[in-house]
Amino acid sequence: MDTTPPADPRSSAPLLELRRATVRFGGLTAVNAVDLQLFPGGLYGLIGPNGAGKSTLFNLITGLYQPTEGEVLFSGHSLRGQRPHQIARLGIARTFQNIRLFSGLSVFDNVRVACNLHRATAPWHTLLRLRAFQSDEAAITAQVDSLLTLFGLQSFRDHPATSLPYGDQRRLEIVRCLATRPQLLLLDEPAAGMNPAEKLDLIRLIREVRQRFALTILLVEHSMRVVMDVCEHIAVLDHGTKIAEGSPAQIKRNLAVAEAYLGTAAPAIPPEEKSAC
Amino acid sequence: MPPRRHFLFLLSLGLVAGIACFSSGFDPYYLDLLIMVGVNIILAVSLNLISGHTGQFSLGHAGFMAIGAYLSTLVTVFWSDSLLASANEKLAGFAASPWGQNLLFLLALLTGGLCAAFAGLVVGGPSLRLRGDYLALVTLGFGEIVRVTFQNTETFGGALGMYGLPDHTSFFWVYATVACTLFVIGNLTDSTWGRGFAATRDDEIAAASIGINPTRYKIIAFVVGAFFAGVAGALFAHFKMTIVPTGFDFTRSIEIVVMVILGGMGNTRGVILAAILLTLLPEFLRPIAQYRMVLYALLLIVLMILRPQGLFNFRFSRKKSA
Repeated sequence: MDTTPPADPRSSAPLLELRRATVRFGGLTAVNAVDLQLFPGGLYGLIGPNGAGKSTLFNLITGLYQPTEGEVLFSGHSLRGQRPHQIARLGIARTFQNIRLFSGLSVFDNVRVACNLHRATAPWHTLLRLRAFQSDEAAITAQVDSLLTLFGLQSFRDHPATSLPYGDQRRLEIVRCLATRPQLLLLDEPAAGMNPAEKLDLIRLIREVRQRFALTILLVEHSMRVVMDVCEHIAVLDHGTKIAEGSPAQIKRNLAVAEAYLGTAAPAIPPEEKSAC
Repeated sequence: MPPRRHFLFLLSLGLVAGIACFSSGFDPYYLDLLIMVGVNIILAVSLNLISGHTGQFSLGHAGFMAIGAYLSTLVTVFWSDSLLASANEKLAGFAASPWGQNLLFLLALLTGGLCAAFAGLVVGGPSLRLRGDYLALVTLGFGEIVRVTFQNTETFGGALGMYGLPDHTSFFWVYATVACTLFVIGNLTDSTWGRGFAATRDDEIAAASIGINPTRYKIIAFVVGAFFAGVAGALFAHFKMTIVPTGFDFTRSIEIVVMVILGGMGNTRGVILAAILLTLLPEFLRPIAQYRMVLYALLLIVLMILRPQGLFNFRFSRKKSA
């Protein structure tokens, strides 16, 4: 088992830390005593076979589940008892495996509604349409428009969000996350259902987002091409347990990982390496 | 410079006041119809905030209306009587004057609204954690509980209801309230903050993931919606000058739900049009009045097949895909 802690030169204090975090549903242990440290500015990957507990781990971090045992710490503070919207407020944003856009709202409104988190005025300004409300609303509109332009979605501005092509919907979900001004961005299978060209675009997008918004990113992904290409540090889950952690090169050589994916101690190449790319 | 909305609001209030000056010259039949249209607009628009914008299917709107109707009489009947009979002649004189009467009515409207809003908070707080059908059942039960409670309270006339309420509701009061309702609910929903209602409706988990507290939005929608339903109830009671407990039964709630669905969930303009249409429709259908509910049902079925997004909804439909 490869348990080398991530040696990150940029910072000593982790942004997100899981300490023996465990989630149990009845008799099933979905996440079992996982230790994980994410340092500011890093690009982390989380991989594992189906049912390994990756999405459960995301739901644990974002407060949809509470840890049965152990602790989740964000900037040194425990997230225990915090509800999802409070965690978003602290600076953790996420996308969803099956895209969750607001289907009744336009592309613009999908992003706009996320700007609530950092708006300058309170609800009674909205109710009474005070002057501060006008300038606040104008600032939010400008902010949303610049985000949409940045990600090439401005031409769809007033279209219903769910009418966009699949890849654009994924991008819109990321834009919506960015509007909440997060410190940590969690991407749940961003490349799912994308063709190779779209995957290349996605890789470029993730790098650019990290650069421009100074984010820490953790992504769950099945596409080895994306994970190996984009992530600097990878953790591998199997049956809820972390079986390996390290750089992409280390993970590729790791026997436990190969075993989890292929079932035997064969050459350590995860399946998709051969086929998809 | 005040924003455009304030201007529109004041303009519509002025317009209402202006028309109200001539309203005594109106044919009483049409005036009555106009007032019922106004009351139904308030009810439909306020339910639209709960069901249309926020997606919480409530079948208890008549219950809030009943609370507003009954409890407003605390001011216009019980309190007003004690004021008129008070030893202080100045006070009694003021209470009897038109100014005093209108002031009392304003207080009555607010009392009705605030009591209904409080009921909304009490019912909504725990039950809004339920989803869809379960919430519908709880609100249905709530509406019936309210009706049965009043029906068995002797102070409010029991099963006979209340008679001889003062005739306060005028064209001005109704349409001034309509303007207030549209101003408040329009301001709430048509804004960045107000998009949170729709976000809550479309996907609570996603809404929470961007920092929106779905429970808070649902409760706000419920309380504001209940407030205006209560005010509408108070207006209705002082328009009919009687309160019959069976007037606030399940079918009343359904009528309001039909207006919202017909107008298009979350579409204020459509809901107003539907409220007007469904208030006037029975008048045109007088010869077959007893088949009114049959027609309602048929209308709904046809509508669900032909225009599931609502008759007057011209924005993109919620389920449309590429």
